[in-house]
Amino acid sequence: MIRGNRIFLSCAYWAFVLYVFVPLILMVMMGFKDSKFIGFPIRSWTLDWYSGVFADAEVLSTFGYSIAIAVLSTIASVVVGTWIAVLLERSRFKGWGVMFGLTVLPALVPGIISAIAFRIYARYLGIEPGMGAIIWAHAVHNVPFVVLVVMARLSTLPKSQIEAARDLGADPLVAFLRITLPYLVPAILGASIFCLLLSFDDFVRSFFLGGYDPTLPVLIFAKLKSGMSPEINAIATVALVLTAAIGIWAERFTRRANKDTN
Amino acid sequence: MTQDPLVRIDQITKTFGETVALENLTLDIARGEFVTFLGPSGCGKSTTLRILGGFEQPDSGRVILDGTDVTRQPPEKRHVNMVFQDYALFPHMTVRQNISFALELKGMDRAAIRARQDEIMDFLELGAYGDRYPGQLSGGQRQRVALARALAPDPALLLLDEPLAALDAKLRGQVQQELKSIQRRTHKTFFFVTHDQEEALTMSDRIVVMNDGRVEQDGTPEELYFHPTSRFVAEFIGETNLISGEMRGREGDAVVMDWFGQTLRGHASGTTPRPGETITASLRLEKLGFHNARPETGNAVQGRVVRKTFLGSRMAVDLAVEEAQGATLRAFVDAETGQAVGSDPVWLGWDSDSMAVLRD
Repeated sequence: MIRGNRIFLSCAYWAFVLYVFVPLILMVMMGFKDSKFIGFPIRSWTLDWYSGVFADAEVLSTFGYSIAIAVLSTIASVVVGTWIAVLLERSRFKGWGVMFGLTVLPALVPGIISAIAFRIYARYLGIEPGMGAIIWAHAVHNVPFVVLVVMARLSTLPKSQIEAARDLGADPLVAFLRITLPYLVPAILGASIFCLLLSFDDFVRSFFLGGYDPTLPVLIFAKLKSGMSPEINAIATVALVLTAAIGIWAERFTRRANKDTN
Repeated sequence: MTQDPLVRIDQITKTFGETVALENLTLDIARGEFVTFLGPSGCGKSTTLRILGGFEQPDSGRVILDGTDVTRQPPEKRHVNMVFQDYALFPHMTVRQNISFALELKGMDRAAIRARQDEIMDFLELGAYGDRYPGQLSGGQRQRVALARALAPDPALLLLDEPLAALDAKLRGQVQQELKSIQRRTHKTFFFVTHDQEEALTMSDRIVVMNDGRVEQDGTPEELYFHPTSRFVAEFIGETNLISGEMRGREGDAVVMDWFGQTLRGHASGTTPRPGETITASLRLEKLGFHNARPETGNAVQGRVVRKTFLGSRMAVDLAVEEAQGATLRAFVDAETGQAVGSDPVWLGWDSDSMAVLRD
């Protein structure tokens, strides 16, 4: 019975892996196909689509644009998120629950709804669609993730660490900068990577709040409308490799950093 | 050296919600003293320490440090440092950086910091570990780094919050001796908090026994051990025979009591019982002497051995006193004496001075 269960579970697991990865593998394969039409059979292979991508000024500048948005929105999220996390973790004041709920809410609102809301609000405030508006929307959406990750880390900081710093002559600000902040570094780094990936990957907010320049997902969408081509597969593969590499590195880094300081 | 105390705790009361942690505590600590606050958990000893460190504010009362009222001063302004129970070493800093943390904040220049680091690390034999991180040190080494870090800024008062609790028994004994010798050599005032009576007896110049937010007794280790004034202290420190009986009267300094028909004499230091009252006296196990004939001591009864427990260097002997309705006494004797006593009744004698009449 137990043995049967185990076989069933492992089959289910591998079925799940196939389900997730087969489309990705197909997408990557088609990027190397020496033909304009996507589909089997693949008679010959080529790197032309890739050289095309790296020669295409529009694609490259879009990459840069998306990365710039990701970096700037991440900085904003991390500063605001860490600030809120410290405030929430340190004390339980009246209205704590409400404040925590409101903080986490942006992560739960469906993307399309928050995108439309942002669009209306941006027009009301007179903010032009474009880079600033996208950064703003991404930052707001990502703050909750920073808050949750940083709060979790902060809750494991022994109270005696701060007391020791105070005891040795540090005022509250110095104690925060020299003891709390270094302790939070792994969490802040982890949260940053997550924010970078969320922003880089976002379509809905970027689409609704974007100006004339498209971000990468918006560009891919635009290209799709004019027909499927292995060029898109090549762009997507580059993005996939880049984000996966950063994600895996960050995961390993934060795990090691957590181990070191505990 | 001035005569006024280094620390004056003046009528401090502290409550946490409904719980009274400290009730009207008044106490002086002299310069260069090794004072231990001893008591079970929740007795108020840690609260006192945290108030001295500046981590808690008393509801009422004052803390005077070196003539200045520091009651409302934050920890960073006080000339007081603390060794934390979990050491609270900064994990992302090396031993050297941990030690220099306070020195940098004092605004000392680089050369002076370096010199002080070397001095304190040399003093505590940490020279080889300067570039290690706390995670790379053993428990005993961490304990010494915590001590070095707290001593580096040259505090007027050093607070120690059960710093030996995390060490294993063997190391603890060694560190106790070390701590005492460090305190002697630095002439610093140590305020030590523990629930371990043996630790308190070994190291302290003075022990303050706390119970329920109040001072039970305050004195030298010897005074507390041989002349406890309350039942709590007698039972908390060491092992003792508690002898209950009826107060009969006084003979000079001695209190005469009736113990199941036996007349015993003790001395009362912390209490003034009246005839007819039921009183309890404490008699330390090693104060009972064995004799073949009725001894000339203030108290003498005959007992029969019930049980012997071999403890290595000595023996614990339980005796039943038939003339006192079979009530038992326990005595510590050296192993030879213990082995020699047989089934015949033996005379037990003790001075009236060694039996302390307690306040309940």
